[in-house]
Amino acid sequence: MLRRFERLKSWEGVLLVVLIGIVIFNSSMTPHYLQIQNQVNLFQLNIEKIIIVLIMAFIIINAEIDLSVASVMALAGCVMAYLFEKGLPFGLCLFAGLLTGVLTGAFNGFMVSYVRLTSLVVTLSGLIGYRGLAHVLLENRSVGNFPEWFDRLGQQPLVGPFPLALIIFFVLLIIALIILQWSGAGRYVFVIGNNSEVARYSGVNVRRVKMILFIVSGLVSAFAGLLLAARLGSMRGDTAIGTELEVITMVLLGGVSIFGGTGSLYGVLLSILIILNLRNGMGLLNVPGENQTGVIGALLILSVLGPNIGRGVREAWNRRHVQHIRVGEEEKGG
Amino acid sequence: MFKKLMILAVVFTLVLSACAPAATATEAPAQPTELAAPSGEVVKATPGNALNMVFLPKFLGNAVFDQAHEGALEAAAELQNPTELQFLAPASGGAGADQIPIITNATTQGVDAIMLSNNAGDQVAPAAQAARDAGITFVTWDSPIPSAEGEQVFVAQVDFAETGTVMADMARNILGEDGGKFAVLSAGPDSANQNAWIAAMQEVLQDPAYSNLELLEIVYGNDETEKSTQEALALVDKYPDMELIMAPTTVGIAAAAKAMQDEGLCDKVKVSGLGLPAEMVSFVKNGCSPEFALWSFYDLGYLTYYLSYLIASGDLEAVDGAQFEAGRMGEYTITKDPTRPDVDGPLRVLMGPFSQYNADNIDAAVNP
Repeated sequence: MLRRFERLKSWEGVLLVVLIGIVIFNSSMTPHYLQIQNQVNLFQLNIEKIIIVLIMAFIIINAEIDLSVASVMALAGCVMAYLFEKGLPFGLCLFAGLLTGVLTGAFNGFMVSYVRLTSLVVTLSGLIGYRGLAHVLLENRSVGNFPEWFDRLGQQPLVGPFPLALIIFFVLLIIALIILQWSGAGRYVFVIGNNSEVARYSGVNVRRVKMILFIVSGLVSAFAGLLLAARLGSMRGDTAIGTELEVITMVLLGGVSIFGGTGSLYGVLLSILIILNLRNGMGLLNVPGENQTGVIGALLILSVLGPNIGRGVREAWNRRHVQHIRVGEEEKGG
Repeated sequence: MFKKLMILAVVFTLVLSACAPAATATEAPAQPTELAAPSGEVVKATPGNALNMVFLPKFLGNAVFDQAHEGALEAAAELQNPTELQFLAPASGGAGADQIPIITNATTQGVDAIMLSNNAGDQVAPAAQAARDAGITFVTWDSPIPSAEGEQVFVAQVDFAETGTVMADMARNILGEDGGKFAVLSAGPDSANQNAWIAAMQEVLQDPAYSNLELLEIVYGNDETEKSTQEALALVDKYPDMELIMAPTTVGIAAAAKAMQDEGLCDKVKVSGLGLPAEMVSFVKNGCSPEFALWSFYDLGYLTYYLSYLIASGDLEAVDGAQFEAGRMGEYTITKDPTRPDVDGPLRVLMGPFSQYNADNIDAAVNP
C-alpha cells in the first residue's frame, strides 16, 4: 500500500493523473471525443510521430539525441516517390526508402560513436542535409498516385476500425517495452546513458550499442516516412517538417531525462496519450492553432521542470519521513 | 502495483470508448429539403438555414485571410445562419499538412461545410475525400486541391492569364509613353502562382504595343520582408536606368516600396504589382507606388461562403453550368476548371476581376 503511494508520487503518477483529467474533461466537453472513430483518428493523425517516439526514447535514455528523424522520414518517402516516378517496381522503391533510413542512421551512428562527434551536431546537420536532399529529389512538386493497395493500407482500417499503422505501433510498443524494460540490452542502454565511461570499463561495447540505436532510429524513421506517404497519398519535400520537435517533446514529457540514464517507456506511453488526447480535445473544441502550440510548449517546459521539482519534493518528503520513522533505513531509500 | 493501475486505466478508457455510441446521429446535417433547381435557373439562397461551416485558410495571422474571413462573416450575417462560423487554421510557420487534423476533426464533428484554402497540395485529398464521404460540402478557395479529389468546387480569385495583362498595363501606365526598363521581384522561384503570372505577363510583353517596355531581370525575395528588401536594393545598384519594380506578391511589393521610400529613391524608381491596400496606402500617397492591383480577399470570402451555403443547404448542385446568386456580388456560374486540364472533372467559380488601386480610390478601399 505504501509502495503504491510512493510510486504515485513519481512522474508517471503525475502523468497518469493529468491523462485521466484530460480524458474526463474531453468526454464531458464534446460528445464526439469518445466515438471509436475519433479514438482511432486521434492515433492515426500522429501515428508516424509516435512510432518514432519509441526509438527516440531509447536514444535519449542513452544520452544522445537524433534531430534528423523528420528529415529522414521525408527523405525516405521522397526516395521512394522519386524512384516510383522513374518507373521502378514499387517493391523496390519501398526497399530503397527503408535502405535510405538505414544508411542515414548508419552515417549518424558512425559519426557519433566512431568519429566521436556530438550527436546534437551530427543529427542537426542531418536535419538540414537530409531535408535538402529530399527537396532536391522532388523539387517543389508532390508525387503520388502510388499503387492503390498502398494508399488503402495507409488510409483505410485493416482489422475492425484499426488501420495497419496503429496495429504496427502497438506491436512495436510491446517489443520496445520488452527490450528496454526487461532485457539485458535495455539495461545497457540505461548504463551507457548514465555514464558511458563506466559502461565501457565494465565491458559494454558502447560504440556498438550507439551504432545500433542510430541505425534503428534511421530505419524506424524511414518506415514512418513510408507510412506517412501511404496515409497522405503523396509525398513532398517539406513533408513532416518540424516533427522531430514534437517527438522529442513527447519523450521528455514522459520523464526521460535529456541528460540520459533515466526514464521509462511507461512514462513515455503516458505522455504520448496525454499529447494526443490534448490535441484531439483542443481540435474538437476548435481551439485556434496558435493556442494549441502554446499549450504544447507549456507542457514541454513543465516536462523539463516537472521531474526535477518532483524529485526535490520527493526528497524533502523522504527526508522528513525517514526522520519520523527510523534513522537506520536510509540506505533502502537510495 | 503501479503497472496494474495503469493497465486498469487503459482498460477503463477503452471500455468507455467502446460503450460510447458509435455515432451521435442527433445532429441531423441539413438534408436537401427540396430538389436542386433545374439547370438554367439562377439559384437564390434561402436565409436562416442552421449550417455548421468551417472556414479554413492556409494559416493564422495573415492579413489577407483575415479579410477573407470578414467577407465570409458578412455573408453569414446576410444569410442569417444562426450557427457561428468556425474560423480554424494551423499556426503560421507550421507544415502544410497541419490542415489535415483540422479537416479530420471537422469531419468527426459532422459539420455541414468546409471551405479550404489548400496549403498541402494533394496531401489533403484523403482527408477531404473522407469529409465528402461523410456528406460534408467541400469547397476550396484561393488555392485548390490539384487533383480535385474530395473537392466539389474551387472558387478562383481571378483568371491567371488576366494577371499578366493587368501587370503589363500598370507598367505601361507608370513608365509612360516612351516606355522604360523594369525588373520583377517575385516570391520564391518555385511559387506556382507567381510563376504563372509572370509567364503570362511576358507573353503580353511580346505584343508590339508593349515593345518599349524592357524586362531586365526576375529576382526572388521568398516572400520574406528582409530578403525582398535586399533584392530590391540590389536591383537599384545593378541597373541605374531601371525605373520600375514590379512585384506580384503582397510581401514583395510592400518591402520594395518601403525600401525605395527609406532610401529616398521614389522619384527614380516606382513600385507596382499585387499588393494589399491597407499595407500600400502610404506608398500610394507619397508616390512610391502610384498604382497596384489585387483581387479582393474580402469578396473572395463572401463568395465562397455564399456558394458553400447554397450547396450545403441542398439548393445548389455542384455541377457544370449551375448558376447561382451570391448576394451583392451578383450572379455566378459553375464551370469546368480550364487551369487543371489533366485532372478529371474539376469545377470552378471564377470571381474576377482585378481591383486596381491608385491615389483616387485607395482611401475608399482601406476604409469601406
